[in-house]
Amino acid sequence: MVKVGFLSLAHMHAYSYGHALNQLPNAELVGVFDPDQKRGQAGAQQMNTKFFSDPGELLKQVDGVIICSENSLHRHFTELAASYGVHVLCEKPIATTIEDGQAMIDVCEKADVKLQIAFPVRFNTPMMRVKEMLERGAIGEVLAIRGTNHGQMPGGWFVDPELSGGGAVMDHTVHVVDLIRWFLGKEFISVYAEADNMLYDVPIDDCGMLSLEMEGGIFVTQDPSWSRPATYPTWGNVTLEIIGTEGVIDVDAFAQNFVVYDDQNRKVSQKTFTEDMDLGLIKDFIEMIEEDREPSITGYDGLKAMEVALGAYESARLKKTVQL
Amino acid sequence: MIRVGVVGYGTMGQVHSQAYQEINDVELVVVADPDPEQRAQAQRDFGVDVVSNIEELLQSSQVDLVDICVPTYLHETILTQAVESKKHIFLEKPLARTLEEGERMLKLAEGYEQKIGVGHVVRFTPAYTGIRESLLQGEIGQAAVARTFRGGSQFPKGWHDWYADFDLSGGVILDLVIHDIDYLRWLFGDVERVYAKTTHGRTTAHLEWAMIVLRFKNGVIAHVEGSWTNYPGDFYTTVEIAGRDGLIKYDSRNVNPIITTTLGETGERAGVTVPENPAAKSPYLVEIEDMIGAIREDRDPLVTLEDALGTLRVALAAEESARLGQVITL
Repeated sequence: MVKVGFLSLAHMHAYSYGHALNQLPNAELVGVFDPDQKRGQAGAQQMNTKFFSDPGELLKQVDGVIICSENSLHRHFTELAASYGVHVLCEKPIATTIEDGQAMIDVCEKADVKLQIAFPVRFNTPMMRVKEMLERGAIGEVLAIRGTNHGQMPGGWFVDPELSGGGAVMDHTVHVVDLIRWFLGKEFISVYAEADNMLYDVPIDDCGMLSLEMEGGIFVTQDPSWSRPATYPTWGNVTLEIIGTEGVIDVDAFAQNFVVYDDQNRKVSQKTFTEDMDLGLIKDFIEMIEEDREPSITGYDGLKAMEVALGAYESARLKKTVQL
Repeated sequence: MIRVGVVGYGTMGQVHSQAYQEINDVELVVVADPDPEQRAQAQRDFGVDVVSNIEELLQSSQVDLVDICVPTYLHETILTQAVESKKHIFLEKPLARTLEEGERMLKLAEGYEQKIGVGHVVRFTPAYTGIRESLLQGEIGQAAVARTFRGGSQFPKGWHDWYADFDLSGGVILDLVIHDIDYLRWLFGDVERVYAKTTHGRTTAHLEWAMIVLRFKNGVIAHVEGSWTNYPGDFYTTVEIAGRDGLIKYDSRNVNPIITTTLGETGERAGVTVPENPAAKSPYLVEIEDMIGAIREDRDPLVTLEDALGTLRVALAAEESARLGQVITL
């Protein structure tokens, strides 16, 4: 039985991860620490587990923790977990600066604990299928990829630059960048980006457009904008159009859905029936601890994805291409 | 009566010729094409006079409006001759292959007493005009991010495969993506800077995929994408515009009111499914009606040569950006 806890529930993905933990026969959710006591207590209750007011008490009792804090606190909690010899699954992005991200990798290595970054889209069934197709050359050689990871404006600490390290570009670049690195086993070498605040009255970028070059001359564009309005029938999307010498693949991670028209709440919503990718991610994390193997998504993967987002901000500021 | 001569009886020449049949007091009188097969086709289609020599058409006193549907690299030459003959001119897009050509053409047009219109047909396409209306009505508030796609179809067939020669056609950006560049300029005004990537030079001439990022002076960020492919596929277009108060989404694949599935000619297996999006008037007819209206009412056509030059400038800047790997500020 692998014992797991949460350090902070600031990121809403925590609830889905908690739900996943409660479904796994080989995992036990020991408890939740959250500096926001009210949120932590409510969350613990919702996840049917205990609230800890002292993170040390929780860390003494677990094999692994899931860090769902504000982005800029990822380093602090990772260092804390490592000091107790506890393995870490950290919400994306890894951090808000290269320095913090590298420090997290280093401290985990030194403490001999594993650091995994939460890129759940790697566990999305359509995306796994596409990886397999690309590996057997279904569309020849990949030439270019058009990506989107649109979302609704999340509000809260996501729009506080101190806590999030960036808005839409930081929030919604890393998933697609990670997927493509995973698909192709190649690195991004340059980025050109537009980023701005135009959609909401928030003190952070809420829209943008990235144009990237990879090793081997493959180019990629990525739209990270929080451009789904409140009336949109779902939170957003992750789509890729992969252009090859012998064909093209269009993939929409959440196309497997039906639509509900709900008069009582005056709401139209898409309900996905894709297998739960968060469950896949958590299952993988638990197995990694159980089997004492290397993480499937490493701190380095997290660092490389964040590097692209940081490069995009620099490019948008300089209005020119930035080499990575 | 407005009498029309069509120069070049390829795909667009045929489409325009059909449109003239449907307008009152307009007559297609002559078609010019160097290819005897195309001339024979024009005769069969419309029973019109045909000539092999373009000068003959341009100099004919029987022609009031010259409709130029020749490959892009010939636009300046033919337009210059048509201007010398003092005809009204309707010119298929793109305006020209190079900016120098386009600028010389603009000079010719300055003070020219007859009408010159350019065929940027997207401005006459119902979904696109509807989207513009919604935007102008303020239904989604101030626009911020736009996305367009155009392509997916097989590589276009042209005279001596001229589309495949980048020096002649300018590739997918100049020939196809320019439609959306023009449309977006119509919605958002002037472009501030351009960054573009294309597969041109990285693959065969019969596959080109381009992705362009435009930043408009009004702040709008646009992702403009288009393709010609060497694998099977159906042509489609998409538009998405996100604003402060909402989102507009359009995908031509989702607007076919009729989908017919039938057995193939052999009776089995080779069956076909054909989606249809019928309309009382094709956008090409509406576009040409506007040109005829401009002549009759003595006004500018919706797309002037100057507009088309502005669009050409952005498309060529995209190609330059792709070539240099740098952002181009206009």
